[in-house]
Amino acid sequence: MVERPVVQLRLPPSLWAILFALVASQPWLAGCGPATTPTESTTTQGPDATPSSTPPTGGATGSSETTKSTPAAASAEPASEELVPYDPPPLAELDAKAGWIDQTVGDSLAMWKAELAQTKPICTVEEALSLENDSNEKNAKILSALGRQPASDSEVDYDATFNRHFGRDVKSTNPIMISATEEFDVAGLMGFGLFGADWRFNPMASKDTVVSWQTSADRMMDKVVMRKDCTWSDGKPITAHDVVFSFQTIMNPKVPVPAMRGGTDKLRWVHAYDDYTLVYFHKEALATNVWNLSFTVIPKHIYGESIKEDVTLQDSPTHVKYENEPVSGGPYVLSKRVRGQEIVMTRRDDWYIVNGQQVRDKPYFKEIRFRVITDPNTALLALKTGELDEMMLLPEMWQTQTSGEEFYKYATKAHGPEWTSFHFAWNTKSPFFSDLRVRQAMAYLFDYDEMLGKLFHGLYRQSAGPFPSDAWWAPKPYPEPFKRNIDKAEELLDAAGWVDDDGDGVREKVIDGKPTKFEFSIICPSAPERVQLCTLLKECLDQVGIVCNVKPLEGTVLIQKLMDKDFQAAFGGWGTGSDPDTSENLWKTGEPRNYSSFSNPEVDELFAAGRREFDREKRAVVYGRIHNLVFEAQPYTWLYTRNSFYAFSKQLRGYAFSPRGPYNYGPGLSAIYKVKK
Amino acid sequence: MNAPTTPIAVIAESPHGFWDEAWRQFRKRRLAMLALFYVEFLILVAILAPLIAGTKPIVCRYKGTLYFPAMGYYVPSWENPVFAKDKFRRVYPKNLKEKDPESWAVWPLLYQDPYRRVRDGEWEGQPGNPTGDSGKPSRYNLFGTNQSGVDVFAQMVHGTMVALLVGFVSEGIAAAIGITLGAVAGYFGGWIDSLISRLIEVVMCVPSLVLILALIAILDKVTIWHMMGIIGITGWTGIARLTRAEFLRLREAEFVTGARAIGVGHVSVIFRYILPNALAPILVPITFGIASAILIESSLSFLGFGAPPPNPSWGTLLSDGRRNLNLWWLTFFPGLAVFFAVLAYNLIGEGLHEATDPRLREAMR
Repeated sequence: MVERPVVQLRLPPSLWAILFALVASQPWLAGCGPATTPTESTTTQGPDATPSSTPPTGGATGSSETTKSTPAAASAEPASEELVPYDPPPLAELDAKAGWIDQTVGDSLAMWKAELAQTKPICTVEEALSLENDSNEKNAKILSALGRQPASDSEVDYDATFNRHFGRDVKSTNPIMISATEEFDVAGLMGFGLFGADWRFNPMASKDTVVSWQTSADRMMDKVVMRKDCTWSDGKPITAHDVVFSFQTIMNPKVPVPAMRGGTDKLRWVHAYDDYTLVYFHKEALATNVWNLSFTVIPKHIYGESIKEDVTLQDSPTHVKYENEPVSGGPYVLSKRVRGQEIVMTRRDDWYIVNGQQVRDKPYFKEIRFRVITDPNTALLALKTGELDEMMLLPEMWQTQTSGEEFYKYATKAHGPEWTSFHFAWNTKSPFFSDLRVRQAMAYLFDYDEMLGKLFHGLYRQSAGPFPSDAWWAPKPYPEPFKRNIDKAEELLDAAGWVDDDGDGVREKVIDGKPTKFEFSIICPSAPERVQLCTLLKECLDQVGIVCNVKPLEGTVLIQKLMDKDFQAAFGGWGTGSDPDTSENLWKTGEPRNYSSFSNPEVDELFAAGRREFDREKRAVVYGRIHNLVFEAQPYTWLYTRNSFYAFSKQLRGYAFSPRGPYNYGPGLSAIYKVKK
Repeated sequence: MNAPTTPIAVIAESPHGFWDEAWRQFRKRRLAMLALFYVEFLILVAILAPLIAGTKPIVCRYKGTLYFPAMGYYVPSWENPVFAKDKFRRVYPKNLKEKDPESWAVWPLLYQDPYRRVRDGEWEGQPGNPTGDSGKPSRYNLFGTNQSGVDVFAQMVHGTMVALLVGFVSEGIAAAIGITLGAVAGYFGGWIDSLISRLIEVVMCVPSLVLILALIAILDKVTIWHMMGIIGITGWTGIARLTRAEFLRLREAEFVTGARAIGVGHVSVIFRYILPNALAPILVPITFGIASAILIESSLSFLGFGAPPPNPSWGTLLSDGRRNLNLWWLTFFPGLAVFFAVLAYNLIGEGLHEATDPRLREAMR
């Protein structure tokens, strides 16, 4: 009998990307000091929203094709159109012509264990616990020794409580109403889902809920046979009808679904042929279709009738009741919720034991307690006294407030690279930055050493282009990042016609018959870390006679200006989706979130081609080409990719970092356990 | 022998006007005088900031000509273009030597810049400023450095100008509006009075902080002047009310009736006859207003909406310090500066009040 939890997070990977990005975009989490309000957008340009999402605040202008509803906006974007009912042919007919191809039904934790088994820890647990994490080498040691899976069940404390930190409370516990990271965390524990992805973003169906998964030869259909031993926490079986009902609810334009509709709207129809057989019909044969299959599932027997009275799923007395005591389809059930303080999830025994038989792995924790502490400094104090078992650290906390005995008494810390990169975006429609030479000059002028070495203490890496260098779709070889070269920059500026003719120390150029001074504003979120970078840019440009005014803006105003293309330069950052196709709405001509107004017909065509190519190697070539084309055009000056920084209790084991941090991947949270004291 | 002396003394003193008397009284108050000296000292620091801390020479002889690059701290275009042309890139000491070995320069007392970090090797024998949490006060950075490595002392010296200007300009605007409107309302009374009184009430309801935040969103290039404007435009109500009350009282006085009787115009009566007599009690809230304007500017900068970065300001430093309390020098020194500046203005206000109010003067004895 194997005992291990598969708290698998079966949510659309593309949505994970958004989430992840949202973590990044919470001002205080992102290292910019406490924010007075959790405006997602205060940190970065289109906050750190992922390419696949519209910016969290006020991004209702997403294009029809790539629209994800605003993940953090309170009001949802209405679905662009009503779902067109589809009457699918009988299953026998489908089976005859489909030519089903089997797809992976896997267990990410088992795969992760196999992966770990190939390497040996580079130091002992005792040594790792005694280390103070102040170098990359020690960080590797800590992750290697403490990131292991238990050798036997006796090591694991199955009665443990995992005290996690939330920077803010959840708005809703309903799995289809989720939009912010915290809501995904809660829904991940008690939502029911069929699909997930591993730490390398390989999609798969979960063996906990799925018997088989097949895709048709023409890639227009996916057929899933569900397991029969899944039940809701009120004892009712989970069936294919719940999945169909959830699909229709998500696509119902009257229901204010904040985030789930993105991706799901690319499905033509989902049909239940019997209680456990589902077929998904796609609108088009695309490589990205697989990501659209995973939406969260809600119980039809609870919401089927009540939704007719209250489409908001929030307001009616019945819905308020289920909001506070939701029916769970996952390994945990909500047992206590005090708004603004804590959410307690308890392990469901009927999830892994059915009819006296253990049919799934036993989750490692008996209880997972999310404690809401908005002020990061207060949270850090709670961590130091052992009240919290983990929290995300701000970079300056990593540097200054987490060293010495006081911190290492109960906790240790670790960091890993994250696929979130930051940049200065140049508006290529503005008279200053329409010339490639000027944009190149900007890239040559910025002092990267000062930024990486002095502002970020060597914790971050310099980035070079839209895709992360360690993703499978990154170009090979990866382009060299820019190095500072003031002489070359000055040559480029002179060649572009920007010279100081009148001797006032500022470069001018005659534009439309009028001499124009090179003086522009850069807009950025009003978080100190961002302002510091823009100020450094100002200093660098000042040395060659360019005036740059730093203009910190409040989040919503910033997004509005970006959307209206009413800016000259902006500081921003993007997270990464699980598929490069999610970046299309950043680079395709005319996309609302293509803030630089970058346009290259070849890139547009390549994105369309990449979606229709199914061979990963060939897709990688396509996206590598896109990366290089975009990088050559320098619509952004790429700055750095950020790491995620976490503090963990010394009792915790099994954590690892994915490009989306330590939780939001497979196995993620389900691999983490506490050792017995 | 003694008898005649006293009357003479009285006669000698009696021609002293109201303001002379006030000044005499003010001078007797030691704390108030100390505060006045302190404010004068601050004004001096503000004006001479580039000579105290800076990275640009005050005077230098370069290729046979005298230049004053430090003027660039006042107005950027006053920095001589020859240095930009010769690719100095804002770093003087090394470049002066390299490009013209004959050159000489007079430097500010401290080689530190309020806008940027001094790097390694810029000034012989002085290491680059530390960044992050290691910028403790040291012999090169008297008050330490902030997290980006910019010297705190240099920022405070250059930020004095902002702090003082905010007080003077915004209270100047407030006083101009407040006195004029209050005087008109109190002098004419009737419907004009009701109208202006209602206007005062309306303006009192407008929160200046919210207005400033709105302004930042609208304007493309927000400067400290816009902020002073708004603080001034919203902060005149108290002054107007006091002026109105004084005018209500004084317009019934005999000398006003007399002036009106010989045909003096309204404007003249208001500004030449009544105002000088009403000014003393009004000056007091103005002084307090200056103090509160400094606080408003600091709190705005503290919230991140102050002088646009990287303009040095005491409030900005305080807000840097809030992010990490371990860096005590970011809170301590600017906090002291704000405290003393506000205290000084309040003491001056207090002193003025006592010096000009005969009842208080009597009470003091």
